[in-house]
Amino acid sequence: MNVVVCVKQIPDPADPGALDPNTKTLKRDGKLILDESDSYGVEMALQLVDAAGSGEVTLVSMAPNGEVSGLRTALAMGAAKAVLVSDDALAGSDALGTSKVLAKAIARAGEADLILTATESSDGYTGTVPEQIAELLQLPSVTFAKEIAVDGSTLKVQRQTEAGYDEVECPLPAVVSVTAGVVEPRYPSFKGIMAAKSKPVDQVTIADLGIDAASVGWAGAGQEIVEIAQAEAREAGTIIEDDGEAFAQVVKFLDDLKVV
Amino acid sequence: MNTNDHNFSEPDERVALRESVAKLAGKYGREYVERQAASGGKMTEMWLEMGRTGFLGVNIPEEYGGGGGGMSDLAAVLEECASAGAPLLMMVVSPAICGSIINRCGTAAQKQTWLPAIADGTHLMAFGITESDAGSNSHQITTTARRDGDEWVLNGQKTFISGVDEAHSVLIVARIEDEKTGKLKPALFVVPTDSPGFSTAPIEMGWMAPEKQFTLFIDDVRLPKSALIGERDGDLWQLFAGLNPERIMGAALSCGIARYALDRAVEYAKERKVWGDKPIGTHQGVAHPLAKVKIELEQARLLWQKAAALYDAGDDFGAGEYANMAKYAGGEISCNATDVAVHTHGGNGLTAEYGLANMLVAARLGRIAPVSREMILNFVAMHSLGLPKSY
Repeated sequence: MNVVVCVKQIPDPADPGALDPNTKTLKRDGKLILDESDSYGVEMALQLVDAAGSGEVTLVSMAPNGEVSGLRTALAMGAAKAVLVSDDALAGSDALGTSKVLAKAIARAGEADLILTATESSDGYTGTVPEQIAELLQLPSVTFAKEIAVDGSTLKVQRQTEAGYDEVECPLPAVVSVTAGVVEPRYPSFKGIMAAKSKPVDQVTIADLGIDAASVGWAGAGQEIVEIAQAEAREAGTIIEDDGEAFAQVVKFLDDLKVV
Repeated sequence: MNTNDHNFSEPDERVALRESVAKLAGKYGREYVERQAASGGKMTEMWLEMGRTGFLGVNIPEEYGGGGGGMSDLAAVLEECASAGAPLLMMVVSPAICGSIINRCGTAAQKQTWLPAIADGTHLMAFGITESDAGSNSHQITTTARRDGDEWVLNGQKTFISGVDEAHSVLIVARIEDEKTGKLKPALFVVPTDSPGFSTAPIEMGWMAPEKQFTLFIDDVRLPKSALIGERDGDLWQLFAGLNPERIMGAALSCGIARYALDRAVEYAKERKVWGDKPIGTHQGVAHPLAKVKIELEQARLLWQKAAALYDAGDDFGAGEYANMAKYAGGEISCNATDVAVHTHGGNGLTAEYGLANMLVAARLGRIAPVSREMILNFVAMHSLGLPKSY
C-alpha cells in the first residue's frame, strides 16, 4: 500500500512568529520545521503501510527556499521519499493555490492508494486544503479521521464528531484528513535520522509540474489579507463560590464546552 | 558522525538527534524522576523506550545493533536527557564505559553476546572499579582473579558502584598475574549479578535518585574463561578505553543538569515579581549570575564536544587531556548552575516542590566522580603544563 502524506513546514511555534507588514503574511525566511499536526498523518501512514506489509510512505510539501528540515524529520520517522515544490512564484499563494500545487505534486509522487493530510496547518488554519485537493484530484474526501483501516479496496474511517464518531466507508484511493493527537508519533530514531540524509527529495518548480505562474502565488490568489488586528483580550474567568452545589455548575460548564 | 574540530556547529543529524531525544525525555521529565526516586522505582520505562528508539546504543557499531555513531552522539543524547530533568546516570556506565570497552577490547563472541543487548537497553551492565582503599587508582586495586582450570575465580570488594540492583551484570576491574612477568595487572571481567558468591549492600546516600549506590562483595565468584574481556595480555589500555568515555559522559551529564537548572532559574526570574511590576530578572544582581552561568556552561559544552570529537577521531591521548578538562568544567558548572538556580528562587529553591535542592546535592557528584577535581588539576599541571609530579 502506498500512502502520500501532505506535510507543511512551518516557522517553529516555540519562537515568536512575525508578520510581514507589507504582505500581512507570516515571515517564513528562517528555518522551518515539520508542523506537529502533520506528524500524526505521517505516523498513521507508517502504521498502515506496516499493517499492509508492503508499499511506502511518500511526503509532499510546498515550501520556500528549498526547505527540507521538516521533511528530514518525517523521513527520519520512516517515510521513504519526498516531493518538494519550491518556487519563488508561489509566495502569497492562498489555500486554493496551495491545493493546486499539492494536487500536481501528489500526482508526481506516483500511484497512491491513500492521501493523508492534517485537518489544518498550525500556522495558517484555513482547514480547507484537504477538501480542495480531493476535488482537484476527483477523489472522495473524508475529514477528521481518528482511526483508519483498510479492507481490500475499501477505506473504513472513524470520523471524529462533537458527540463521538461516525463510521464512514469510501473506496480507495481517497483523501483523508487526520485529527491531531489520535496516534503517538514515533520519535525519529538515530538510525532513522542517519538514513534520512540519503533518502531522495525530488525538488521541483511549478514549471516542472506544468502549473501556470499566473494561477498561483500573489498573482493567482483569490484571497487577500486586508487587515491585521490584535486578538481581543480574553475575558476574565468565572469564579464559582462553593455553597455546596458548586459541582453542578462545574459540570454544566464542562458540559457546555462539550468536554464531558 | 565525527565533528570537524574547526566546525563549531554540530552536524544537522546530531541536531535532529538532540531534538528527537529531547521530545522523548520531555515526556518523562523531572516529575517522573522524582516520582520514581521517592517510591523506590527505577528509570526502567524511559530506559527501555530510549533503547527501543536506538538512543542508548548510538555509539555501538551497526553490526552489533547500534547506531554506528560516536561518543559525540551518545554524550549529546545524555545531555538532552539531563537537560529535560531526567539524567540517565546509567548511560555513563552501560553503553559508554562497558559498551566502549567491549567494543574496543572484546572478542567477536563477546561483542555479539553483550553489545546488542547493551544497545537496546535490555542488558544493563554496571561498572565496578572503585575500592575503599584504592579509589580509582587501578594500581592499588586488591580485587584479584586467579585461574582454576577452565575457570576464573574472583575475590574482593568494590564500593560506590552505581545501579547494581537494576543491572544484569557488572564489569569488574580485577588484577591478574601477567603470564610473562608475574606482575599483577588490571583485567576486566563480566560478572552476572546473580553469580553465586556475589552479594551487595546498599549505601544510603544523602540525595534521592532512582540510581542507588552499592558496596559489592565478591567471594570466590567462579566465571567461565569467556568472562575475561579480550585477550589475557590486554593490559591497562583496556581500562582507558572506558575511562575517557566516562569523563566525557560525566561532563555532558553535568552540562545537561546545568541547562535544566538555568532554564528553571531564567523562567522564574522572568515571572517572579516582588518590587512593583518588574520581574526580578530586571535586577542585575539576579541577571548577572545567570549570564555568568550561561557563559561557563557554553565553555564546558565546548570542552566535552572537543574531547568527544578527539575520542571519535581515534586520538585517545588528546581525548584524555580534554576529557579531564571537560569533566572539571562540567563539575564546576553543574554546581554553580544549581546553586544560582536555588538562589534565584529564594526560599522556594529549597522546597521539595521545585526539586532544585535535591539536584544541588546530586550536581556535587560531578566534582567528585569519577575522579576528583584535584586529581584533574594534578593531571593538567603535570601533563598539560609539564610541572613536576606532586603525589
